[in-house]
Amino acid sequence: MGEEWLVPEELPRALVDVLGAYLARQRWYAGQGQPAQVAVAGSARVASGVPAQGRLLWAVVEAGASRYQVLVAERPSAEAAERLRGHDEALMGSDRRVTWYDAVVDSEMAVAFLRAASGGEQDAHRARPLTVEQSNTSVVFDDRLILKLFRRLSGGANPDVEVTTALAETGFAHVAAPLVRWQRDGTDLAFGQQFLAGGTDGWALALTSLRDLYGSCSSGGPCEPAASGGDFAAEATRLGQVTADMHIAMAEAYGTSDSLAGEWEEFVTALERQAGELAPDLAVDGHPLFQRLQEVAAVGPSVRVHGDYHLGQVMRTDTGWYVLDFEGEPNRPLEQRLVPTSVFKDVSGMLRSLRYAPQFALRERAEGELAVLEPPARAWQDRNCQAFLLGYYERDGIGELLPSPPEDREAVRVAFELDKAMYELGYERAYRPDWASIPEAALARLLSEPVEVLTALPGRLEGDPGDDEAADVEETDH
Amino acid sequence: MVPGERVSGTASSDIRWYKRAVFYEVLVRGFYDCNNDGSGDIPGIISKLDYLEWLGIDCIWLLPFYQSPLRDGGYDISDYWTVLPEYGQVADVAQLVDESHRRGMRVVADLVMNHTSDQHPWFVESRQDRTNPKADWYVWNDDDQRYRDARIIFVDTEKSNWAWDPQRGQYYWHRFFSHQPDLNYDNPEVAGTMLDVVRYWLDIGLDGFRLDAVPYLFERDGTECENLPETHSYLRRLRKEVDSLYPGKVLLAEANQWPEDVVQYFGDDDECHMCFHFPLMPRMFMSVRREQRYPITEILARTPPIPDGCTWGIFLRNHDELTLEMVTDEERDYMWSEYAKDPRMKRNIGIGRRLAPLVDNDRRVAELLHSLLFSLPGSPVLYYGDEIGMGDNIYLGDRDGVRTPMQWSPDRNGGFSRADFAQLYLPALMDPVYGFESVNVEAQMRNPSSLLHWMRRMLEVRRQHPVFGTGAMDVVSTDNPSVLAYVRSSLPGQEGPAQTGAADEDGTEATPDHVLCVSNLSRFAQPAQLPLQRWEGMTPIELVGRVPFPPVGEQPYFITLPPYGFYWFGLVGRSTTATGG
Repeated sequence: MGEEWLVPEELPRALVDVLGAYLARQRWYAGQGQPAQVAVAGSARVASGVPAQGRLLWAVVEAGASRYQVLVAERPSAEAAERLRGHDEALMGSDRRVTWYDAVVDSEMAVAFLRAASGGEQDAHRARPLTVEQSNTSVVFDDRLILKLFRRLSGGANPDVEVTTALAETGFAHVAAPLVRWQRDGTDLAFGQQFLAGGTDGWALALTSLRDLYGSCSSGGPCEPAASGGDFAAEATRLGQVTADMHIAMAEAYGTSDSLAGEWEEFVTALERQAGELAPDLAVDGHPLFQRLQEVAAVGPSVRVHGDYHLGQVMRTDTGWYVLDFEGEPNRPLEQRLVPTSVFKDVSGMLRSLRYAPQFALRERAEGELAVLEPPARAWQDRNCQAFLLGYYERDGIGELLPSPPEDREAVRVAFELDKAMYELGYERAYRPDWASIPEAALARLLSEPVEVLTALPGRLEGDPGDDEAADVEETDH
Repeated sequence: MVPGERVSGTASSDIRWYKRAVFYEVLVRGFYDCNNDGSGDIPGIISKLDYLEWLGIDCIWLLPFYQSPLRDGGYDISDYWTVLPEYGQVADVAQLVDESHRRGMRVVADLVMNHTSDQHPWFVESRQDRTNPKADWYVWNDDDQRYRDARIIFVDTEKSNWAWDPQRGQYYWHRFFSHQPDLNYDNPEVAGTMLDVVRYWLDIGLDGFRLDAVPYLFERDGTECENLPETHSYLRRLRKEVDSLYPGKVLLAEANQWPEDVVQYFGDDDECHMCFHFPLMPRMFMSVRREQRYPITEILARTPPIPDGCTWGIFLRNHDELTLEMVTDEERDYMWSEYAKDPRMKRNIGIGRRLAPLVDNDRRVAELLHSLLFSLPGSPVLYYGDEIGMGDNIYLGDRDGVRTPMQWSPDRNGGFSRADFAQLYLPALMDPVYGFESVNVEAQMRNPSSLLHWMRRMLEVRRQHPVFGTGAMDVVSTDNPSVLAYVRSSLPGQEGPAQTGAADEDGTEATPDHVLCVSNLSRFAQPAQLPLQRWEGMTPIELVGRVPFPPVGEQPYFITLPPYGFYWFGLVGRSTTATGG
């Protein structure tokens, strides 16, 4: 933001007094209950483009141990009431004359903020806030630009902003193009990107395919994924290709290292120990798989990765798949998220997601149908995981980032799948015990399956019109 | 023009009538047989004009009716100046045009410019030796190695684009069947004669032509021999001739190419007025099978803008196979596995089926697909018989499976002809599901809930909203991949509802019109949240039943759709209450 767009301005005392109660109601507020004290670390006013009789105030406040960014619309109370209809949670408070509220719900104010944050480079007719996320608020402008307002500030560059920008600079076309980056003192405060209008996330698309498959099975139609109308394999293959391109771009932007190679033995030992703890009944101790993993000679280079890669982080649009949200696993500390590792960190994340989706969709069905639906669910998982991997492996240039020979490549993949499944198991047991059976089954499967090299997709269609009898039709009277 | 009035009126001032017209493709041989010789004819079409008018058709497209040995359904013309005797005479064509115009309908006809029959006197003369006056009217060569980069189109039957002629001792060039030699457009006599042909039929009163196989007119070494600059420059010459002598006529190009290549045939609004949008068609089917909108929205996103005076011709099915040239290999495998389960259903690089069997005779899917056809940008082209859900006969050779007689009634031969059954050009369908005893016009006209009445009603609604033909399209994004939503809008680029109405350049729309179309491509009921804030304050009115829905607020608009359901909403007014008060 050009500084001329913002002028220093003290927040009214009455406003500061109500901020604590407001913060306590927000999903992005990290503390418990209302903060004892709210201190203003910096505040300002947007200097131009703000509707008459209103003010748009900006502040960074400290509450508890964290810093938060707040954006306040101030309008005459009658007008504010109109704009707040349906947005009770946005109300902050009022004095005799004016009312203060979260500016993102006010289209005119949000547009004024966009202009300011972009230094006048961006403008829009209208804004609509999206549902609030844990650490930020997103506002969509004219279905063209999405602006992420970081709420809980960790200081410094935001990894999502940084990686998205770096990938876009390499020419990787499958991130939403960065349009606005607003920083102050090196801290990312807002990030605007091309809005992927008409997009749906991969999870929703996979469920569409699965509901079609299950519906077909339940109504006497084809009951295998390759034969059902909603087959997902072509999507999975394209997703594999985009994922490979993303890793190639990561290597270009951040370089590669061999940091994982030095830690491999330790990594596998930790896997074995953790598996023994999480699944004592699986006879993990001395299991030949871990012996096999230890024998991997070259684990391949380490690169910067997405870090929290799953179907919910990819968006299907009219121009293919896009990758979103490079913040990494939110529960890990920031420094850990930046450590380069194997590309299989991401690949396994997506594979696990492709195996979760059919199980999730099964839970939508009635108990009595499960016997019929479990075989196609397994077939869907296998088919789409393989389709994804084929798309990934076949991409030009990805070979340099993979371990070789292929036998070792698959061993490293299995190790990361195990790692991911155990992370899931820990999470599910803590938060959703009903779901723990999914990663439990994954663990059992990974320990019992041989490490195999993939060659072709089962059920891929052969299509050569010359082969069939249509070619024999005589050339008469066309 | 008052909305709701038939678009044609055939008034000469309405030179862009084709942008709002609904076309209906008629196989002359298969429509109605007036003289009971077993083959349909032009007087037969005249006697069914009342039906087409009742249905709400604006323009009839006649498949070739010229003199021909009929080895390729009339696309092998052996005389451009006469009508095939079994179809009638030139005078019958003139009468058909007059009678159609009297009913407010227009008539366009197929014209094959790229090639003739090998029985055309021009070719008979040309092949005699290398020095006769027509020696240079076709493309001859001493060997069959020239133009090797040109693909073979009829891969089922042809091995090469060259065929040996023992009489002249040379090879001749043919992009289609070997009995269809390509004319040599580098010869000015050929180029000029074809303009004579065009003028001759426009003088008789035809309202335009569907130009068959236009990308292939010229050949050049080292090219694929498609879409060459010389071809475009000839089309500009043709257009200029037509516009200057016969304003208000239409040239509709058949160019089975990717949209970015097809748009060249619009030129700068100085080549063809219309082009068929081939890639859209298989993708409409694919979207329904996959239960997601991306096959459709992807190809629309890939379709470049076109000049103002131009429009796309869009269709679900036609007299050819469901063409899969314009899809990727992977998509073609998919389409074959989904829609051509029996190998006999495959034709060349396509699928030889009619609409109803393609969708397993599911009335809901047929209606959904037609609702897309009638509401996506472009002028819809219906294929005769699809309005009653006719079937096909995949055991007939080549593309005849979808060219069986129109089914008018449950009477003998489906009411198509009073000839003996054995005398029919093709047997009328008699199977229990699609046969004429169960599927015919007479029965469906009596049944108000028939597909035919539904079709007529939808065409009526479409006619009331010219914006379907002339408006811009804005896709409305929704999280649910099974839901496709878009707004057709008469004022492109206008942010939000317009305050004042201005007549567009056609002078047809006094007030702005916005139509929201929402379709569920899934076999299951689906919800959708539509970000309609641009139209905040307006009331959606369902156009078939005129039922007002709750007005658009500042929140996303929530809507539920039944399986394969769709809605067309007019967005009206600025009211803030559901009652419209």
